[in-house]
Amino acid sequence: MSDTEPPEKKPKIICNLSNIYLDTIDQCIESISSSERNLQPIISDELTQPLEFINVFVGHIKNVKDISRTILILNDKIPLKELSHLKRVRRQDIILCPTKFLDNMSSIQDYIESHVTELRDVFDYFKEVNVPLLPPKVMKQYNEVRKIWSCNFHPNHYFEKLVSNHFFSVYDVKIHRKFMEVAFEIAKWYAIHDGVAFDINNILLTIVNVTVVVDPNFNRIVTIAYDYRHDHPMQHSAMLAIDNVAKTQNGGVWSTESNDGLLPGIDKELVHFLKQKFSQFIIGLKKTNWSGAKGGQKMDTDGEKGGPKSDSHEENKEKDGPYLCTGYYVYMLREPCVMCAMALVHARAKRVFFCFNNSVCGALNSVAKLQTISSLNHHFEVFTGFL
Amino acid sequence: MVEFMKRALELASEALSAQEVPVGCVFTINDTIVAESRNSVNHTRNPTRHAEMNCIDSVLEHCKKNGIDHASYFRNVVVYVTVEPCIMCAAALNILNVNEVVYGCANDRFGGYTVLDVRKFYEPNYLLTGNLCADEAMALLKQFYKGANPNAPETKAKKKPS
Repeated sequence: MSDTEPPEKKPKIICNLSNIYLDTIDQCIESISSSERNLQPIISDELTQPLEFINVFVGHIKNVKDISRTILILNDKIPLKELSHLKRVRRQDIILCPTKFLDNMSSIQDYIESHVTELRDVFDYFKEVNVPLLPPKVMKQYNEVRKIWSCNFHPNHYFEKLVSNHFFSVYDVKIHRKFMEVAFEIAKWYAIHDGVAFDINNILLTIVNVTVVVDPNFNRIVTIAYDYRHDHPMQHSAMLAIDNVAKTQNGGVWSTESNDGLLPGIDKELVHFLKQKFSQFIIGLKKTNWSGAKGGQKMDTDGEKGGPKSDSHEENKEKDGPYLCTGYYVYMLREPCVMCAMALVHARAKRVFFCFNNSVCGALNSVAKLQTISSLNHHFEVFTGFL
Repeated sequence: MVEFMKRALELASEALSAQEVPVGCVFTINDTIVAESRNSVNHTRNPTRHAEMNCIDSVLEHCKKNGIDHASYFRNVVVYVTVEPCIMCAAALNILNVNEVVYGCANDRFGGYTVLDVRKFYEPNYLLTGNLCADEAMALLKQFYKGANPNAPETKAKKKPS
């Protein structure tokens, strides 16, 4: 009898970002820390989207002996600079021009006759082919492209790493997950401290957020910040964290209630709690002692060659001292809003990690991806995929 | 209108003398200045202390002190700022739902309209007008960028001559 019964279904945790099933913070923490899944970089659509195509006329050459001469003439008379990633010829087929070049001309034969008379008898027949408008950026795109047309491609090691599912080493994944755990423990601490039931919906509904700023060279928590926007509409946790970092550099503007000198602006009890709970990390940054001893194995902080330029060379730091959030990693519960995301650009953060999407106004994945806007003067890497 | 921008330009010059990026800003309600400030990023070591953010904080303080509801207060604010608000400030001004923003010169490096039109993410959003005393605003910026950032660490300061 029991054999015929279906096995009892395990309650499935839905990790789909728009449909969070984890309703307690402890479930969240458990899920973040127990998983070994690699984190996911949030990258430009250019690397992940299917390529755009353009329709071109292709001529099939009658005699293979004419190929090289024909290419030379075509490159001279109808140069196709914007399609220079494509080889002009594929076997006996030669790209003549995009179909849109024809305008009022009645046929491609007429076009060839009027633009390159000397080639009017070279072709057997013509056809239209959809070829990629832009050069492929990653191997996966290249493999699609070359089925259609011969193409120049130089794999970029950093791009390949971004689209792979193993950006971080197993060791680093653990550490990043641990720092995200710190962010959740802070949220929990405040919920208990303020006597309110922690509700994961508050994070999703953009009321609560936590920011943890880390110096990856020393596994040091430079500062933390809890959202204060209920009292001050600009004091989102990232904005507060940036100001707290300024305080470690003899700056800062927002006055904060308590200050024990270790984590400026952060409640002493919370600092004590974090020290107990996360003894593997150095907590706090003494203004005068920022270049303290190295703690344990450090994370791999240098991006691959070709990636965003690395600002965290220790030698530089020794010489200059910290500058804004240069070289720092930022961990947040929820994707920062447009204001906070741009503030992190201004602050020169090196990497931003977040757990939940902010579908209303998140600017690193949801409504925009500031890290992919080339005109901005600083670009950080962004990672998610903790749940 | 022009008088408010002229005042913002004075504040921007003040920023320049203090070795800050020369951007000045005034907030008005019914054609009366209710807040004015300038960039103070280098002094505060906080890269978010743009002129607009400083004005916002001063309005919030005023509201708190006088028991005024800041949400309805900001609704009537018209912002005059010498340079197009950056993406961060544009978002902040939308979050606060100010009535209108008038700027001097465009900001093609990180403008909250030129680089990314932030208003499309917010409903409602503010009215936006540019190009009021743009040349004066731009002249101040050019003067600043001839010099070096006094806060940049040695190794990062002016790597390439531009």
